[in-house]
Order: sequence, then C-alpha cells, then structure tokens
Amino acid sequence: MKDLVLVPEALVVAAAAFLLLAGRLGWIRPAARRYLPGAIAVVALLALAIELWAGATLGTYFGGGLVQDRFALFAKAAVLLAVAMAFAVVDWTAEDSLSIGLAMPLLAAFGVMVAASAGDLVALWAGLELAAAAAVVMVSLRRPDLALRLLVTGGVASALLLTGLAFLYASVGTSDLMTMREVLFSGTPTLALAIPVFLVISGLAVRATLAPFQLVSIPASLGASPLGAGLVLGLVAAAAATVAIKLVAALSPIPSVYSSYLEVIAAAAMVGGGAAALATRSPRARLAYLAAGQIGWVAAGLVTHYRAGLAASLFLLGAFAVAATCGPAVMGRADGGEPALAGMGVLRPARAAALALAMLSLAGAPPLAGFFGEFAVGAALAQTGSFGLLALGILGSVLSVAATAGTLRVMYIQSPLEEARRTSRLPVLTRLSSFGAVAFCVVIAAYGLLSSPILGLANQGAEALGLR
Amino acid sequence: MLIAAASPTPTPVSVPGAGIFSSPLLLSLTIWVPVALAIAIATMPNPRGRYDVLMKQIAFFTNFGLLFILFIAYNQFQTFLPTMQYEEKVPWLQAIGVTYHLGVDGPGMVMLILSALIGIASVLASLGIRERVRSYFCLLLLTQASVNGAIVARDMFVLVLFWAAASIPLALLVLGWGGPRRHPAAWRLLGYWGLGTGALLVGTMALYAATGGASFDMDVLLKTAISPRVQLAVGLLMIVAAATRLPLFPLHGWARDVYGEAPIGVAVIVAGTASRLGAYLLLRTLVAAEPAAAHLLAPLLAALAALTVGYAALVAMRATDLRHAAAYLALIPGGITAFALAALSPLAIAGAVLSFFAGGLAAALIVGVCATLSERAQSRNLQVLSGLAPRMPVLTWLMVIAGMALLGVPLLATFTSELMTFFGSFKTQPIGAFAVAAGLGVAAVALAVLFRRVLFGSPNPDAPGVSDASLGETWYMALLAGGLLWVGVFPSGPTLPGTGTPLFDPGLVNVMAAGISDIASPYAGTGP
Repeated sequence: MKDLVLVPEALVVAAAAFLLLAGRLGWIRPAARRYLPGAIAVVALLALAIELWAGATLGTYFGGGLVQDRFALFAKAAVLLAVAMAFAVVDWTAEDSLSIGLAMPLLAAFGVMVAASAGDLVALWAGLELAAAAAVVMVSLRRPDLALRLLVTGGVASALLLTGLAFLYASVGTSDLMTMREVLFSGTPTLALAIPVFLVISGLAVRATLAPFQLVSIPASLGASPLGAGLVLGLVAAAAATVAIKLVAALSPIPSVYSSYLEVIAAAAMVGGGAAALATRSPRARLAYLAAGQIGWVAAGLVTHYRAGLAASLFLLGAFAVAATCGPAVMGRADGGEPALAGMGVLRPARAAALALAMLSLAGAPPLAGFFGEFAVGAALAQTGSFGLLALGILGSVLSVAATAGTLRVMYIQSPLEEARRTSRLPVLTRLSSFGAVAFCVVIAAYGLLSSPILGLANQGAEALGLR
Repeated sequence: MLIAAASPTPTPVSVPGAGIFSSPLLLSLTIWVPVALAIAIATMPNPRGRYDVLMKQIAFFTNFGLLFILFIAYNQFQTFLPTMQYEEKVPWLQAIGVTYHLGVDGPGMVMLILSALIGIASVLASLGIRERVRSYFCLLLLTQASVNGAIVARDMFVLVLFWAAASIPLALLVLGWGGPRRHPAAWRLLGYWGLGTGALLVGTMALYAATGGASFDMDVLLKTAISPRVQLAVGLLMIVAAATRLPLFPLHGWARDVYGEAPIGVAVIVAGTASRLGAYLLLRTLVAAEPAAAHLLAPLLAALAALTVGYAALVAMRATDLRHAAAYLALIPGGITAFALAALSPLAIAGAVLSFFAGGLAAALIVGVCATLSERAQSRNLQVLSGLAPRMPVLTWLMVIAGMALLGVPLLATFTSELMTFFGSFKTQPIGAFAVAAGLGVAAVALAVLFRRVLFGSPNPDAPGVSDASLGETWYMALLAGGLLWVGVFPSGPTLPGTGTPLFDPGLVNVMAAGISDIASPYAGTGP
C-alpha cells in the first residue's frame, strides 16, 4: 500500500507531461478534443480515489523530503477535487489552448500536493513556486503583459520567501519542519526569528492574493482565461495557504513572532475583500475579492496557533480551493461586466446555480461550504478570545454576502439581453459542463452536510502537524 | 384566563385523538419539505411559462400540507410538559460541538403555527405574480424553510444558520419583484439584517467561549452559569440582533422601504414571521437564559419598545403614502412584544408569547391590506385616496379589523396579549407601561385619521378607478383576520358545552403555557 501513496502525484505529472507533449507535437486530433477534458477530469478523479484509498498509509519518502500524513491526505484530496471539478465545468471554447489549459492546472495541483506533503522548507518552497509558475504560463497565453507583471511580483514574493526561509534555517539550524518545531520548543522568540518570519509571511501574503497585496495578482486573474483566473485565485492561493499552515504549525511554539502580522493581514483581507467586492461591478473582479476575503478567514484561523484553529483553517481551505478554482471557470467569459450575466439563470440554469453557489460559498453565506468553514474558524477565534478579529471577519462576510446579492440579482432577476446587445457570449452548453455544474453544486452543498467527517479529517491533519 | 395563561394546566385534559400521531422527523419536515419542493420547482422544466400555475399550486399545497401536519402536532402537543417536544438530535460538527438539534416548546409551537398560517397567506397574496414565477416561489419556499429552521433550532449554530439564511432569499425577492425603490429597500434589508446576524454571531461565540468552548447546544450555552459581565455583553448583542429584525427604534431603517416596496406576499411574510424571530430570539437567549442581564437590560428594552410604539404612531400620522403608513403601524406589535419581554413577570412573558402570534398576524394584516388597497386603488398617495369604503367594502372591513387588531380591541387575539402585557407590567415597568399605552393612544388617532381620509371621507373625483379585493386576496386577508378572531374568541380553545373537554383546538393559551413556566420561573414573584 505504501508504494501506491505517490501514485496520484505520478498520475497528475504524467498526464500533464503527456498533454504538453501531445499539444506541442500535434497529437491531439480535432475529434479527440471533445473528449479530452472529460478524460483528464476522470484521471484527476482517479488520482483522488487512489489518494483517498491509499493516502491513509503514513510514511516518509525521499529521505524525509516528502511526508504522507493526514494533512497531506486532506490537502491533496481537496486540490484534486478542485481540479477535476474545474475541468468538468469550464467552457473550453473560452480557453486559449486545450493542452496547456489542461496541463497547467495539473502542474499547479502537483505543486500544492508537493507543498502539502513537504517535510522540509525546500519542498514547501518548491511546491509553491511550481503552482505559481503554472499560473504565469496560463495568464501569458492571453495577456503576456499581465503575465510579466505577475512574474515580477511573484519574483519579489519568492525572494522574500526564500530570504525568510534561509534566515529561518540559519536561526534554527534545520530545514526539517518537525525538527524545527522541536528546536523552537526550547527556544524563545527573538528579533532574529521575528524578521525572517515577517519576510516569509509577506511573501506568502502576496502569493495568496491577500489584501492589500492583491494589487497585481487580481488584475492578472481578470485578464486571464476563465481557467487561468481560477488557477491564480484558487490553486496558487491554496498552495500559499497550505505552506502557511505547515509553517505556522512548525512555528507554533513561538506564536508571538507571527500572530500580530497574521492578525493584521487577516483583518485587512476579510474586511477589504468584502468591501472591494461590494464596490466593484465586474463579476469576475467580485469573485476575486470574495476569494481574497475568504483566504483572510483562513489566515485568521492560523492566528489561533492551536489545533482547532488550524484544523478549521484547513477545513475552510478545502471549501475555498473548490469554490475559488471553479468559480471563474463556471462564469466563463463575462468580459462585458455585469450585464454579460443578465438572465443567465434562465438561459444556463445549471451554470447559474453553480456560479451562485460558488460566490455564496466564498462570501460565507449559509448553508454552504464556506459558511461552515468560516464558522469553524470563528469558533476557534472565540475560544482564544480574538473577538475583535471575529467581529471584523463577520463584517467582511456581511459585505461579501451583500455584494453577492448584486450578482444574483443580475443572473436571476434581470431579463436576458438580446443576443445582439451582448458584449460577450454566455458559456457554451455541453453535456460535460452541465454535468460538471450539477456535480459542483452537489459538492458545495454536501460539504456542509458532511462537514462532520471532513472536519474530523482536518482535525487529524492538524494533529499530524504536531499540534495539540 | 390570565391565571391559566401564566401557569400550565395542572390537570391536563387531552384532546380526543391525542397520542395517535408521533414522528421523529416532524420538525425536520417543516424545514426540508419546503427546501425539497423549492429545488423541485427550480429544476422542473417550464417551457414558456407553461407550468407557472402548477408552481403556484406546489407552493400553496406545500404550505397547506405543513399547516395540516402542524395542526395535528399542535393537537398532540403535551400542554403540561415544560420540556422540549418533538426533539431531534443528531451529532453534526462534533469537532466544534455542533449538533443538529431541533425541538419545540409552547412558544415554539405558537411560532410554528403562525409561520404555517403566514406561509399560506403569503402564497395566496402572491397568486398575482406573473414574472419569473419559478424563481419567486422557489425563493418564497426557501424563506419559509429558513424561518421554520430558526424557530425549531435548539443549537445556536443551527439558529445562526437559518437566521442568516432567511435574509438572502428575502432580499432577492424584494430586488426582483419590488416597487420602484426596491434597490435601496433590498440593500437596507441586507444591511440591517446583516448587522443583526453579526451581533447574533458574536454573541453566540462569546457564549461558546464563556461556557468552555465545548458545545453550541442551547441546553449547554443557555443553561450554564456565566459571569454577569458576559451575560450583559451577550444580552446587549442579542438586543441589537433582535432590534434589527423586530424591528425596534433606532434599528428600524429597513422597515419603511421593505414594507413599502416588497411584493405583497413578501411583505406579509416579513411582517408576519421573519420579523417575529427577533422577539423569539430575545425570549430564548435573554429572558429564558440570562436573568441577571435581563434584569439589568429591561429598562433599556422597555425604553426601546416605548420609543418604537410612539415613534411609529407619530410618523404614521404624518405619512403621505399609504404603504409607508402601514409600514410604521406594523412596527407597533413588535414594540408591544418587546415591552412585554422587558416587563419580566410571568404574566407579561405569557403575553409576549401570545403576541408573537397575535402581533405577527396583526402586522401582516395591516401591511397586506394597505398594499392590496393601494394596488386596487391604483395609488398609494394619501392625498389621492379618499372615500373608498362604498367602492371597496371587503377591503374596508379588513382594514378596520387590521386597525382594531393593532390597538388590541376585545374579541381579537391582540386584546388578550395586550391585556396580559399591561397587567403583567404595571408593577415592574410602570413608566414604560404608561409610555407604551400613550403610544397606542397616538396610534389610535393615527388610525382614525387614516380611516377617515382613505375610507370614509368624501370620494375624490380625480382619483383613478378602483376595484375591491379579488377572491385570492380576500382569502389571504380573511385567513389572517380569522386567526386573530379565532384566538381572540377562543384563547383557550372551544370546549364541549358543559364538559370542559376541548374540541379540535386545545387552545393557543394552553399550548403556549408549556415551557413558559420554566422560562418565567426566575421572575416568579414579580408582577401580579
């Protein structure tokens, strides 16, 4: 069974490599293009099934560089589900390249999987950079200028992160996360530790599109194809959050070196995300700010620096990864601003329902996946007495729900525009996308109903990181 | 009757047929049947609106079926038990102590019956909807499910879930089918209710933290002894949450626009049940759970209640728009309920519970009848509407009943509830009682002015043509008025002459008494 643990990673990488080669060498025939997204979604689901079946086996690989534990199982399962759903719901006629459009999300998912099972700082960094690089490629297909900006900003983030990790290694004397945690138990918080942690958190905040650092990544996501936007907003942010959870678990013996930074970032993201979502009229920008607000909740859970808080963050991260990756994919082009969605509830009922649920879940509206995650984080904040942060989070969620109501009104209440007046086409109806949209709705609704086992697994994940 | 209301019947006499019906899923049915049928309506094919009528029928029969089931449950209710009945408890989010825990006591059963009646009235009032019928009735059923969920919740997580969930479909209903000022109305609704939800959530989390962070179950959160300081903070947050819903002055900013702009069916459901949840929350989380904080905050609550009644009456008198006048008048029952809760005596608490029902019906009736009248008269301007009684006899009767219900005239349910409230409060809140009574006096003047102008003045020859209520409209208003009359005439239910054996209705006052003795026990010895 232990040998099967890395099969999901192998499947994902092999599929991505095949797609890149096939696209480059022209092996994908026009007839096959119809079935390829469905086939790759099945591959991702197969990887998910193997992960759920074999991933419960604990073990270490590559000399401790990769660790398979419950945390890795949870994060990998969430990201594989997100990618499979995204492939199923996306309107492939709105994508720039089928082979790259399929390969890059797979590579980004692989990056998250590496970060999730990272045993040391190097694997954490490598996983995050892989996911971010895949996002730059996706954006560059449509908007090279935005991709360049994303690359430069990502480079700065990477530099901050790498410098911080290097300083951390120098201060603690090890790059192994569990050993680092043990060393820190006997240490005291010092300036020498606080500075690298600040650099690391700043780098991660940029990668996770947390307000106010989303100045580049959100505009980049707005110019990308639907799947590219999902990649920037969902998978890269999920990768950054995964890295943050693992790092916070390692640093949890000395919470004073990171709590204040995280509190400020979380508060700004939650309130700023909700306010910006309310202020904007573009549906994709609104989705992006809703995602930024929810990732702020994930950060808020880390402030608690104990098991229940980190488990709640991980639980919310699962809901976030699915909704933020699939949301832009469900929305399709929507280049013409809010009117582009007018009447979508009538013309594309399944997709409209999926988009509504994605936005409501990101806003934290009951009774969807995001609400359950945010509530779990809120309970953890209450237990630690962080009522100020909790109140700001609730304010952000109220603003987010109000913003979402605006888009729902356009989709369900405004009459459909005449085809001639449409500035961008509604997503093309295919059997796969309709099925994907329905499956997405089921997943988002079921996440709450099945929250007990899912939160239980997230708890085990937090416990696997050494938290009590 | 007052004594009977204040304490449960010592030797209960069961209704013929009691004990036949029992369901472990009864309360879940009241939530999930509307949700399931909303999903069915949302997904059923409807080419060119071919099945619009069928969708209306589904919504109607869903509510009718719920009323039927609840009526049986109401008859089977053990009126002498102070504990929760029809309980359902399933572990849910065990990691943070959440259980899917539902249950009702007397006040809960009163609210459920109210919700079922208002649900039917709301669908009947919405039969005229022609645009986007599918979305409308789907959202209406989701609203109904959320309100029922908030009523039967016995876990604070479940309560927050349904409390918050109600605002989204309601805002969309106002946005989609409201009048010309629907946008500000919907955003105000979302804003104020969002503030209330935030306050409820923070209060819940504070209780959770104060009780050890092990469970969100109300049996734990609301029955564990906590420090008076935390009680006070939580109590204040609960008053804010309740004041945004009920609404109470100064958090009533959504009421005028929503009652004035929402489609009639939506205005009826907001005024009838969704807003009553505010008072229900106060009863559960402040009066029943935190007696120390309740005593400290009672003067504040009484002041807010008196200000609400007085302000609403004064503004209604100066209104120039019929629906705005009705919106302000609909605040009065909420103010009286809040005042009854502030009085903190067993009799006043019983009056408050009865006023959930009576006040909900009265508020829904005044909002509904004024909205219907302004539609039928093709104007809502009080300068234009005049002398309509001869041409609108049905609406005139119903409007007069609505006005009398607001004032608590004998033979109507509001009379019984207001009597209990004032008798129960003169000792504990004498100044408040005087202020609320004075507010009711102003409301009587406002209603008299309104009736004289709109119904009994000289007809306006320049006014547009008018017509009386349609059959559907008459039915929904008659249902609300009938509920007020029935409970007003038979508060303890009809009995077989000479035997004292209850007939088909065990009496709302008897049913609501189950649980009140438990809630009111900390306040025994206060009031008459």
